[in-house]
Amino acid sequence: MSAADVRITAEPIDNGRCKFLVSEPLHAGGVRRFASPDEARGSPLAEAIFAIPGADVSEVIVSGNLVTVVKRSPAAWPVVGKAVGQAIRAALAGGQPAVTSKPAASPKAGAAPVDDALYERVADLFESQVNPMVARHGGRVELIDVQDAVVMVRMAGGCQGCGMADVTLRQGIEAMLQQHVPEVKGIVDITDHTAGSNPYFAAAKK
Amino acid sequence: MRLLLLLPTVTYRTVAFVEAARRLGIEVTVASERPSTFERANPTGLVTLDFADPAHAAAQARAFARAHPVHGVVAVDDDTAVVAAAIAQELGIRGNPVAAARAARDKHQQRQLLAAAGVAVPRFELLTIAADPERVAGRAAYPCVLKPLRLSASRGVVRADDPPGFVAAFRRVQAILEQPDVAGCGDWARHILVEEFVPGREVAVEGLVTRGSVRVLTIFDKPDPLDGPFFEETIYVTPSRLAQTAQLAVAACAQAAVDALGLREGPIHAEIRHNDRGAWLIELAARPIGGRCSGALRFEMRETENGKRETSLEEIIIRHALGMELPTLEREEQASGVMMIPVPGAGVLRDVRGVGEARAVPLVEEVAITAHPGQTLVPWPEGSRYPGFIFARGESSEAVEAALRAAHARLELLIEPAD
Repeated sequence: MSAADVRITAEPIDNGRCKFLVSEPLHAGGVRRFASPDEARGSPLAEAIFAIPGADVSEVIVSGNLVTVVKRSPAAWPVVGKAVGQAIRAALAGGQPAVTSKPAASPKAGAAPVDDALYERVADLFESQVNPMVARHGGRVELIDVQDAVVMVRMAGGCQGCGMADVTLRQGIEAMLQQHVPEVKGIVDITDHTAGSNPYFAAAKK
Repeated sequence: MRLLLLLPTVTYRTVAFVEAARRLGIEVTVASERPSTFERANPTGLVTLDFADPAHAAAQARAFARAHPVHGVVAVDDDTAVVAAAIAQELGIRGNPVAAARAARDKHQQRQLLAAAGVAVPRFELLTIAADPERVAGRAAYPCVLKPLRLSASRGVVRADDPPGFVAAFRRVQAILEQPDVAGCGDWARHILVEEFVPGREVAVEGLVTRGSVRVLTIFDKPDPLDGPFFEETIYVTPSRLAQTAQLAVAACAQAAVDALGLREGPIHAEIRHNDRGAWLIELAARPIGGRCSGALRFEMRETENGKRETSLEEIIIRHALGMELPTLEREEQASGVMMIPVPGAGVLRDVRGVGEARAVPLVEEVAITAHPGQTLVPWPEGSRYPGFIFARGESSEAVEAALRAAHARLELLIEPAD
C-alpha cells in the first residue's frame, strides 16, 4: 500500500488534543506514550510529530491504528494535523517500526516499576468497581497501559460513542482514580468513539 | 467554586462543557435526568435531577447545595434552561427569571410576548391537534409555516402554500406530535402554531446577556435559503455578510426580544430574518447554539501558563455563570463556519465514505461523523439528528462556505432501507 492509500481521519477533542485514526496499524505492541522528544528518540513517528514546527507538542500516544497528539500551541489542528498526517505516512512508508516497543526500563530511573505497581492497582480498581458500574449500561472500560503515572483506557460496548462518555471518564473513572490511586497523574481515553455502534446514550441536536 | 452543569443524556455538548470546566480548574457537578452508574461513587460530582419538573429539580439542587455549595448553574438546551432558572432562583445565584426561560422555550408564549412588546414577529395562530385542518385552511394566509411549540432542530416545521398543502402539513405535524417520544411530553404536544412565512435572509445570533443587556458574540449567515417546505439547517458562516445597517437591526431585534421575554443572564441563540421591512424575530432560545456548532466559534486568545490560547464559547458561558472575569469577547479574526451534514434519505447508516477526502479540502478543519453505524437516519421534518458536522476556517466567509460545500460533496453516506 502506498502512502497515498493510507486514510487518516482527525478527531479533535479540543484545541489541545486530537486523535488521528489511521487505516493501517502503526503499533501492534500495546500502547506507547511519549511525553517528551527525549522519550521519542528511536521512534520515527513520535520523533517526527514532536519536531513539527510551531506545534509545541507535549505528548504523543500510539496504539494500534490510533495516534493521539497533545499540543500546547494555539496553532489550529488543520495546520498541525496535516503535518501529523505527513509524519504518519512517512512512518508507514519508512520500512521500520513507526514506534519502538516499550523499553524494559523507562529513561527515568524507577518509573517502570512504579508504573507496573500502579497498573496492578488500577487494574484491580477497574475489575472490582469501574467495570461492574459501566456494565449496567452495557459498557466496558479496558485498561490499556500506565505510563509515567498516566492511565490509558479504551471504552467499548455502551460507552463507545456514548454522549455521556466524557462524564463517565472525568466524573466517574478519573474521580475514582483520584480517590483510590491518588498517585495517578492523569487519564487518557484512546477510544475511537466514531466507531461505536451501540452507544448507551446517542446525542441529538439540542 | 462549584458549577452545576445540567447535561441531558442526549446532548452533543458534553465534551465541550466538561473540558471547558476542567480548563478553568473549577469544581464541577454534572446533573442529568438519568443517573450515572458512578453517582454513588462520586456523589459530589454527579447528581440526578428531575429535569421534567423544574421546581422539583430546584428543590433537589437546594438539598445538594446544602452540603456542596453551588456558585453557578449552566444549561445547554431549552428544557434545562428552565431548570437552570428555577435552580438559580432557589439558590440565589445568577440566572434568568423562571417565567422568562419558560416563555423562551414555548414558541406560542414567546410570540405573544414579543408581539405585545412590538417586536416584529410573524402573524400567528394557535391550533390544537384536534382542529379540523380543512376548515382552518380556508382562512389561513399563504404561504404559512406550521410548527410544534417546543421541538428542537426544526423538527416538525413545515411550510404550506395553499389549502391542500396546509391540510397535508397539518396531518404531518400532527403525526409527529403523536409519536410516542413526543405525545407524553405535556400539553404543548397537543398544539400546532401556524404563522406567516417571512421571506428574507436568515441569520443566527449568538449572544451573552448580562443584567438584561445583550452582547452579540457573533452573527452567523445561513447561506442556504430556508424557504421550506422543511427547514433542516445546513451551513452557518461567520462573519455575516449582511450590510452593517442590517446587522445593527438584527442586534436590536435580539435585544428587543430579550427585553420582551424578561431574560436577564446567560447565553441566547436567536434565529432572525432580515428583509426590506427590517429584522424579524423567528425564534429566540435562552441557551447557546446547539449540536456541535459551537466548535465554529473561537474567541481571542488569552495568556495561560502554557502560553496563549483561545477561549471557547463554553468557557465564556461558564465564566459568566460563576461571575468570573470575562476575557475579551471578540471573536477571532478568521472567518469560520460549520455545516450540519444533511440526511440524504431514510434508512440505516452503514458507512460514511470520503471522510479523508473531505478533510483534505483546503480550509476544512474537521469532519465529525456523529451518527454511528447502524443508526437509523430520519429526514426532516420527522427527523432532528444530523449525521455529522463539517468545520472550516479561512480568510473570508465566501471561502469558508465554498470549502464546506466542497467537503460535503466528497462525502458518501451509505444507507440501507430500514426493516
